[in-house]
Amino acid sequence: MLKMRSTDLIIRRVFSSLTSLRLQPFSTQPAIQERLETFRTTENSPLNHTEDHIGQFYRIPPETKKQLFLYGGLAKSYEIQTKTFTETCFMVRKPAVDIIYCMKTIDYSKPAIRFVMYGKKGNGKTLSLAHILHYALESKFLIVHVPWVGNWMRRCKESSNSEVKEGFIDLNIDAAAWLIHFKNQNAHLLGDPELKVAEDHVWNKRETTPKDAPLTELVEFGINRIKYASRCVVALAEEIKKLSKAGKCKTFVAVDGFNALFYPQTNILTEKKQVVHPSKVTLTEAFLNLTKFDWNNGVAVVIVDEIAIGEKDQISHLPRYLLGKEGFEHMDPFVPILVSEYTPKELKSCMDYYRERKWVQPLPGQDEELTFLSASNPYRLMLLCNPL
Amino acid sequence: MLSSMKSSRSILKFCNASQLRQFSINSVLRTSSNTTSTTETSPQTSPSEAIQPQKKSMSKAMKAYLERAKEHDEFMKQQQQEFQIGKRHLANMMGEDPETFTQKDIDNAIEYLFPSGLYEKRARPLMRPPEEVFPQRKAAEFDEAGRPHHFLFYTGKPNFYKLLFDINEKIIELNRFEDAMTRKNLQPDPNLALDLSGYQWLEKDLLEKQMVEMLNEKDYEAFIAAMERLISLPYSYRLKDFILMYKKPLMSQTKTFEIPKLQYDEDGRAYITTYECLRKRARGHVTLRSPGTGLVTINGQDLNYFKDTQPREQLLFPLLFTGMLNKVDVEAHVEGGGTSGQAGAIRWGIAWGLRSFVDVDMLEKMRLAGLLTRDYRTPERKKPGQEKARKKFTWKKR
Amino acid sequence: MAAIKTLLNKYQVLATKTPLFSAFIQRNGMSQYPSYYIKPIYKKETQEEMYKSGEVQKMTHIPTRAALNDQTCSVFHDELLTLFVNYVMKDGLKVLTRELVEKSLENIKRIQLEKYHKAKTEEEKQNIELNPKVIFHKAVENCKPLLQLTPVKRGGVTYQVPVPVTDKRSQFMSMKWLIEAGREKERTVKFPEKLAYELIDAANNTGRVIKKKHELHKLCEANRAYAHYRWS
Repeated sequence: MLKMRSTDLIIRRVFSSLTSLRLQPFSTQPAIQERLETFRTTENSPLNHTEDHIGQFYRIPPETKKQLFLYGGLAKSYEIQTKTFTETCFMVRKPAVDIIYCMKTIDYSKPAIRFVMYGKKGNGKTLSLAHILHYALESKFLIVHVPWVGNWMRRCKESSNSEVKEGFIDLNIDAAAWLIHFKNQNAHLLGDPELKVAEDHVWNKRETTPKDAPLTELVEFGINRIKYASRCVVALAEEIKKLSKAGKCKTFVAVDGFNALFYPQTNILTEKKQVVHPSKVTLTEAFLNLTKFDWNNGVAVVIVDEIAIGEKDQISHLPRYLLGKEGFEHMDPFVPILVSEYTPKELKSCMDYYRERKWVQPLPGQDEELTFLSASNPYRLMLLCNPL
Repeated sequence: MLSSMKSSRSILKFCNASQLRQFSINSVLRTSSNTTSTTETSPQTSPSEAIQPQKKSMSKAMKAYLERAKEHDEFMKQQQQEFQIGKRHLANMMGEDPETFTQKDIDNAIEYLFPSGLYEKRARPLMRPPEEVFPQRKAAEFDEAGRPHHFLFYTGKPNFYKLLFDINEKIIELNRFEDAMTRKNLQPDPNLALDLSGYQWLEKDLLEKQMVEMLNEKDYEAFIAAMERLISLPYSYRLKDFILMYKKPLMSQTKTFEIPKLQYDEDGRAYITTYECLRKRARGHVTLRSPGTGLVTINGQDLNYFKDTQPREQLLFPLLFTGMLNKVDVEAHVEGGGTSGQAGAIRWGIAWGLRSFVDVDMLEKMRLAGLLTRDYRTPERKKPGQEKARKKFTWKKR
Repeated sequence: MAAIKTLLNKYQVLATKTPLFSAFIQRNGMSQYPSYYIKPIYKKETQEEMYKSGEVQKMTHIPTRAALNDQTCSVFHDELLTLFVNYVMKDGLKVLTRELVEKSLENIKRIQLEKYHKAKTEEEKQNIELNPKVIFHKAVENCKPLLQLTPVKRGGVTYQVPVPVTDKRSQFMSMKWLIEAGREKERTVKFPEKLAYELIDAANNTGRVIKKKHELHKLCEANRAYAHYRWS
């Protein structure tokens, strides 16, 4: 209960700082120098993105993109778009800026804060998370990023019974793929000799990962020995938490489609063709662990999305409904962040960008019509602009 | 014969069987006929005809014809009497004055006394003077010797072909006049030129009634073609009366609308509600509020109610056309039908409501754009003996 | 077929004799509207032109039909494209068809943008057409045949006689060939992709559809000797 109250205080402080941010007048002098055109900014480092940059596009260098998103994290349609435009640009939007500001100003000695991003389908939650990931990379966080939980729950490559735990299912190939992704994202940090395993991990009679071995060894083991990949992931989660508590590294946990970890209908079937509940999957345990508040020096940003669950249950986009009773209790208390539709300024900026990239033919009166037709939904706008 | 000299039309319109009797029998048998009050005195009887001494023998056809004519005449007289008596009774029943009981009053009375739910209006009970109800018959087309009066009798449709003949004559005459004018170096007066934009050609059935002859589609088209030819001549304004006889005036479309007045709700915002927005099977009502920000609500949800782009474009159409995109709020309730039908219903509702917010020029433009027409199209019914509305069963030679 | 054609010719004759005829009395065939209802003019530019030229006077007394479901005054609306969508459509699935055609336009854009970014000089870049609708119009225009063959029976033998083709018919043939060419593909290739390639080829005066048009013209040239059967 003490812990709850302290997080409560943190949330209140965060909110107050946010509101004070809004009350501050616009600081225009340094910002003007950064703006080339109205929709693009030269400020390519998310460390310096503030409210002034909202609605503007900034470019990500291809190496960073490869490091962060080679194994997932961006939607397929967006990938094709980047290929056509020959560059990767993100739009700076309010939810991302808010979270970045929070991450700059919170006290990391207090228990980890959980942010929950929610919004209607196609409003830009995943891309906002991508922006925040870039910031985390620049700020030297240790990134734990799950690109899309739905890939595990609804499109698993292979499932097998767990050896260690009774009645649990391992998704080994998916776990191994995720470990590769983790390694790729944190390649620059895993070389740090400080990151050591805190205790022995015994996999079987002959193989163990000893104490004080570097973290990379644990990761490599999981990649090489696919049979133990799920257990490896769980172990890794524990180790990361311990390291963060010890102050060796700051962790940034990002999960997209978090509510899929609580939705009872997965597409995973046991050998007897019975539907498996996510709580019976070893991987869920790892990430539920990481999103608890019993560790510090870390931040968790989680997205709850309608698309992560079955179509017949896609009624509301609100977190309480999507997380369900268990999920809500697990996450409570959290900071809800609403990702809303484009504001008129953002929409105009997006259209300017498309026109500059020669994707859309310039016609008079385009913007008003598109605002109406897309109802300011970013995904809808993209679909509408495709044939234009 | 006198009749061949007169135009056939005058025989038609003002001659019925009794007239004929007066004309032919009077001249031959010298019996006094009971002419009914509705006909004028025959212009064809001349003193010389009336004093024909011998009794000429009539052909059998003529006799039979006269029999029939007599019967028809009596029948019509009786019907007329019944109609008059019935009219007075009806007036008494309705408590009106029998003297000043017009046809319109009769119609209202019948609708009140015999309410009918039949969809076909012509199948409902009606009470009309017998001339309107019973079909017109032609008067004697041939005399007692069997010689036809009309010079085009043997065409089978003498009146119609006479009409075409007249048109042709007039064209030739106009051409001659034009030549004469050109020789004098005179131009046709542009101010007098015929403006027939407010008129429509007389329909085939009405023309048939006028001619008292059955016409083909081809005949009708030939007639229209000839009249168009006549109108296209530069001096056609000289024959304005003749041409207008075969033209029906159209009302100016925008003047037939009655634009409702704006109502004001508690916040002082003007609003207009269009009820009964129908398209295919969709039914709904739409409320427009002004001043607004372009907010659209459909059945409580925003534009995401329609998942596809086409319905959304349909809703955009009237607002964009009138330039009221961000100036009105739209609140629509719709049920039934499919996506397209619902979208069409709301579009019509928005356009119909926008009439009150928009000036007259824009109103005319909206009408031309097809926004204000109610789309009454419904699926065609399936016919017996066919698969669907138009598709026939496989044709088998044997 | 021949009977229909003679009928059509007859109507055309009537129409040409009296110019006002066709504007006012439209052959509405299967329409549920009365014959004197005119088609709506839903584009703002067309309406403005009519107001300037004064043709609006004729329309004030004539009722109009309702605008169809796929007609808007929006800037993005293209008549030829809606017609094309209708030709591609099967079983009345307009939503799916529209998506397919939109995807094919998108594919055209991607292909052209790729070329654009590869091009080195400014001149080359300017020559590349990036507007998919322009490419579509060009493709349809380039594929229009000028003559077609009709079977004419003389003396028991059916000859293929070259005959001039009306504008509407040639446009229809052009679009139909493009769609057919888009459908002739391997199972794994998607229709929008194939159609995109066909449209770009046709806009550049190359490709299967242009070849088909040239073959038809050649056949007409070959059957030139029978051309007099049109009137005999």
